[in-house]
Amino acid sequence: MDKKKCLELIKLEVLGCLNETDTESLKIMKEKNDDFPWMELSDYQNLVALIPSALEMKYPASELKDKTAMKLYNIRDEIKAKIDAKKALEIPSLPVEEQLESEEKFVIEEKVEVEEKVFAEAEEGFHINTDEPLTPGKDESFRIVSNFKEKNESKNLTSETHGNTDVSVSKTAPEKDVIEKITRDYINTQMESEIDLLNQSIKKNKILSFIFFLITLILIGALYFIK
Amino acid sequence: MAESNSLTDAEIMLKIAGYDSKALEQLYDRYAPFLYTLIKKIVIDKETSEEILSDVFVIIWRQIDQFDFKTNNIYTWLVTLARNKAIDVLNRRGGKMLPDYNDEYEKEHIIPKLSKEVETLELEEVLNRKEKMEKALSSLTDAQRYVLELSYYGGMDQEEIANKLKIPTVTVKSKLQVAIGNLMQKLSEAK
Repeated sequence: MDKKKCLELIKLEVLGCLNETDTESLKIMKEKNDDFPWMELSDYQNLVALIPSALEMKYPASELKDKTAMKLYNIRDEIKAKIDAKKALEIPSLPVEEQLESEEKFVIEEKVEVEEKVFAEAEEGFHINTDEPLTPGKDESFRIVSNFKEKNESKNLTSETHGNTDVSVSKTAPEKDVIEKITRDYINTQMESEIDLLNQSIKKNKILSFIFFLITLILIGALYFIK
Repeated sequence: MAESNSLTDAEIMLKIAGYDSKALEQLYDRYAPFLYTLIKKIVIDKETSEEILSDVFVIIWRQIDQFDFKTNNIYTWLVTLARNKAIDVLNRRGGKMLPDYNDEYEKEHIIPKLSKEVETLELEEVLNRKEKMEKALSSLTDAQRYVLELSYYGGMDQEEIANKLKIPTVTVKSKLQVAIGNLMQKLSEAK
């Protein structure tokens, strides 16, 4: 009887269709009933999750990936706090005096580690920038987040170079230095590649002009001999 | 990239738990179209759907510690999460009185609470079963399919469906139970 009742409620629960009373009853059943049909619950949860598989697939705009990356970037402080909390949990408990010393060490080591990681990731990011073609809205945005800097920083720095002094500086000094270094490198890399491209096209044009000049000379010579 | 493409969903989720943003990107590439399709069916509007999809990935990133790595039912977790979020937005925009949206609310109402015992599903396997699901759904009666859609995609509870169809709540309840039971049976037969 109990199992039958459970199954009836499970069928409604997986559809998100339970009223408050039934929700409470099912909650009690889950907590107190040792024979609660967990496997059946799982089957029905999987079943309703299969329903959208019958839909015709639609695709979000490619720019959405960038927007998502930006949202993730905006919650970086919260995530950093979570990582710190996780790390703190992983540290074995020590006597109080030792713990105080190790806390100081930990702060210094962590700072160095984070800075090293930022540089390493930044280099990796720029390796991607120089060797692989950039596809807007594809692949790149999440990497930018992992390098914990974003287009915003580049924009800020760009506007700084254009004389706009209204640059938001809410970051710590080392982080700001790193961001500036990375953005400068990025701009340099971009400019270098553009200069290279220009040089190449100038060379091509020179060669073409020379070939056309030669052809013209040959044609004039040929006309002279024909006459 | 080729290396990360070969990662299983479970490996990707483990990497996300270590806040590896490339893994989240990988998960996005794999699941975004499927989740977007579901969300768009629920909220219809393209921009809202994209906004919700984006929020779903932010939730995954923020609440990854809520995922049960013992059962590892990634597909169902993601689909249920996306549905819960879309229904929540739909209800709020429709003027339904709901508690303030905060971290606690998110954990209680948006993050799925899946069974402790589970048979895990993989996205590829699900996509291969598309035809079977279509057949199973079309084998339901019109009335059964309609109440199922009102509930699953419309986010309506028993009372709301009863009001809409002007039938008693008990009838709605039994129709939903029969519909979901039949769907399970048809799908099992098609295996």
